[in-house]
Amino acid sequence: MAQKPIIECTNISKVYHQHTIPTMRLQDELMFWRNRSKSVRIDALRPASLKINAGEWVGLHGPNGSGKTTFLKMVAGILKSDSGSIRINGSMSSFFELGIGFHPERQARENIRLNGLLSGMQHHEIEDLTKRVLEFADIGEHADLPMKCYSTGMRLRLGFAASAQMDADIYLFDEILAVGDADFQIKCIKYLEGLKAKKKTVILVSHDYPALMRTCGRILFFDKGLISGQRRKIRSSSTLSPELFETESV
Amino acid sequence: MLGYAWSLLSPLVRFVVILHIFGPYVSQSISNYAFYLFLGIIIWEHFSITTMSCMGMLHDKASIIQRMVFPRVFLILAVGWTNFVIFLTHLFIFFVAALIFGVSMNASVVYLILTALQMTLVALGVGMLLSSYSLKYRDVPHMWGVAIQILFWLTPVMYPYVLKGGSLTHAARALLGQESVTSIIALFIQIQPLSIIIHDARRAVLYDAISGSPTLEHALGMTLVCATIFLFGFVVFQRRQHYFPQEY
Repeated sequence: MAQKPIIECTNISKVYHQHTIPTMRLQDELMFWRNRSKSVRIDALRPASLKINAGEWVGLHGPNGSGKTTFLKMVAGILKSDSGSIRINGSMSSFFELGIGFHPERQARENIRLNGLLSGMQHHEIEDLTKRVLEFADIGEHADLPMKCYSTGMRLRLGFAASAQMDADIYLFDEILAVGDADFQIKCIKYLEGLKAKKKTVILVSHDYPALMRTCGRILFFDKGLISGQRRKIRSSSTLSPELFETESV
Repeated sequence: MLGYAWSLLSPLVRFVVILHIFGPYVSQSISNYAFYLFLGIIIWEHFSITTMSCMGMLHDKASIIQRMVFPRVFLILAVGWTNFVIFLTHLFIFFVAALIFGVSMNASVVYLILTALQMTLVALGVGMLLSSYSLKYRDVPHMWGVAIQILFWLTPVMYPYVLKGGSLTHAARALLGQESVTSIIALFIQIQPLSIIIHDARRAVLYDAISGSPTLEHALGMTLVCATIFLFGFVVFQRRQHYFPQEY
């Protein structure tokens, strides 16, 4: 019997109709009423269907504006798909580099607490989470200072740690390999190996193609809002070699 | 959200200015005008601050909305709860002042809790309606700032509330275009929810001997109206919330 996919996307798409005239204000909308039909159609993601099985590691690769983050945000449930459906059979934790969502006047602990509360965690779970996050983020005595005292890197590290330490079945990561210094990146890779050992499902967006080949079993290529192709690892190996991947159509 | 000190200063300044300038003209027709005005202003401020904060909240929490999945209405409820508590402290100040100046009050002060609830429902309903579109159109908060100034004058905060009989007949005539603009405005002032809520609070606490406390039926009916406004705002908000992350 075929395995039930943990993520199943059927025909999902995202189109933006962006007006070329200013529309940020109702005032503009009224002033440019005659020209309101002038708009550009942007296919952020063309209709795509995809199944991801439990324990699978999928990398998303492609140039800027090719729809990787749009796809990830739709899977995360942050953006709504214009068509089709997305079925998720498990809990999810996501990390988007853009906007870490911490309150600058509050301490790390309080921010982690807010994060946990928004994810629907219980009080004792949050206490446990806080310990793990602070240990992983390794921000030392900064833990008791408000976030505005942090450097950008520290903030990103804490943001990544907060979503990485969340207990979930599926992890979505947007450009985590660009976060932090060399030491922290090594820590990230170790952490990813840990997730692999726990048979978690991971979707990873990265511009670092070799890193994706190292970590993912399947790589999807995005181009102009289209999933243009995919490569699947045919033999498990820790060495880097493109021949281990087999190109196939989606 | 601004700090608590600011929530005190704004109504206080308004109170002092109106009492000083407008007071001499109406204190003949309204007994206890200072307290009449005080109660009106804190209820009005609760409405105006809550609707504004609903929109401010969505702007301030951009990073959380773009990054995490959770029911967005929690942000609105947080605004409601915060301002509800602030309003209760303002009511407390009102009571202390009434005690000091020996204004007689009766058991129906409990009614003010219901007032707080009703006003919070209305304010959140309107706030959700506005914030549903305040990200798409950045000038919505600005337009609301203008609208709320007009609304202030169309609510009996500083002048007496006059209830004329036959509102329904008037309303029907207004719909048929048989009423003058002035009388339509007068009718609006009489029947809009903010007027009624403020009037109810005043007659429960300060003027029950003259105009009688609100009846149970009236209180229930009014709460129902407020809940309907809340529900309407909620439905619109729920429909629009999926678009928030892409509207920043």
